[in-house]
Amino acid sequence: MTLCDDIRLQELMTAIAADKGDEIAQVDRALADFPDDPRLHFLRGSLLAAIGRPIEALSALKAAVALAPDFAIARFQLGFFQLTSGEAGDALSTWGPLALLPDGHYLRTFVAGLTYLIRDEFAAAVEQLRLGIATNEENLPLNRDMQLIIDRISELTAGDGGDETMSATSLLLGQFSGRSN
Amino acid sequence: MKPTRETGLDIVTDPVRAEASLWRRARFEDDSRSRETLFNRYIVLARSVAARHFGWRRRAVDRGDLEQFAYEGLLQALDRYDPLLGVPFGAYARPRIAGNVADGMKRMSDLDAQLSQRQRLRQERMRSLGPIEAAPADPLAALADLAVDLALGLMLEGTGMVEQADGVDRRPTPYEGLAWRQTQAAIAAELERLPANEGAVIRQHYHTGLTFAHIADLLRLTRGRVSQLHKSAIERLRRRLRHH
Repeated sequence: MTLCDDIRLQELMTAIAADKGDEIAQVDRALADFPDDPRLHFLRGSLLAAIGRPIEALSALKAAVALAPDFAIARFQLGFFQLTSGEAGDALSTWGPLALLPDGHYLRTFVAGLTYLIRDEFAAAVEQLRLGIATNEENLPLNRDMQLIIDRISELTAGDGGDETMSATSLLLGQFSGRSN
Repeated sequence: MKPTRETGLDIVTDPVRAEASLWRRARFEDDSRSRETLFNRYIVLARSVAARHFGWRRRAVDRGDLEQFAYEGLLQALDRYDPLLGVPFGAYARPRIAGNVADGMKRMSDLDAQLSQRQRLRQERMRSLGPIEAAPADPLAALADLAVDLALGLMLEGTGMVEQADGVDRRPTPYEGLAWRQTQAAIAAELERLPANEGAVIRQHYHTGLTFAHIADLLRLTRGRVSQLHKSAIERLRRRLRHH
């Protein structure tokens, strides 16, 4: 496997940051030279996700993880992408190997939090996501995403008066509330 | 009724990505369940196009027929749409559905128009359930089974889980018979327990009003197979309801 050298990768990142609108074409040119570089596939997947091309984004993220199964951040982001696509089962399968990260690693903690979220165990989800944010110092944009989820959970649970179990009577009455004749 | 409580997955699901996931599965992984989910998602669009044409019609045409043409147009659009081009499916499908409805109206003979879509669906259903064997061991029991099967069909048509083609809500009033409501509730519960393909055939035939040919197209099955699944689902419902 020949990897793109760091200088070219840095140039690529600088060009993308310049936001000229040809980011995908630039990554594709680099990929033509280094088709097995998982970082380029990951970058391509992230860009495609950002511009609303989800089907191709998923393929690119999967290619990154297939080329480098230990590429932890790519694996986490692939799972997160699957989760946000409503594919919770796929996300959990993708994240499985992250359980081998050291105890207390922020990605492992985020996965624990999101797994609680999938099970609707909101208090435990918030606890783990907060813990992950507190320990993550290397990927700050991820902290912002997780904070958004915590905020959303807070909104949801704030309005929860504990009456989610509908009584048989209200169910029966509700059944006929939308009649048009 | 109080809206369904939001789940943890709802919080993080992005609708655009979730729909893209359905398209990916339907188009590139040949997943007929995702295709059915997409069809169900856009059926309201097909009905609204049919309703507009119903308002413009110049001769007696059954609204159900227009809906069949609209469903046909929707199925064709599902096959031809390229999810990688970034055009929203609704914008792509609407003119194609409208075109199919207009073409279908032109093709219809006066004879076709006289036979309502509902009657055609019932004929199709009857053919699927019959014929009774030439010499059944117990003719009376065989006839009774057929009668129950046809009655089940009528009840399934009126389970009220979906709005009928004419927009009238036919759910029972609180004053209608308790026994009727209980049987209907039992049918609804049993529908959930049917094998996936049988459940899909029943839902699409009785609730959406699709012909067997369109269901075959939707689920990527042969028309004969859809007819078999219909028959076996009705028989299964009949057997299970006997235990209620």
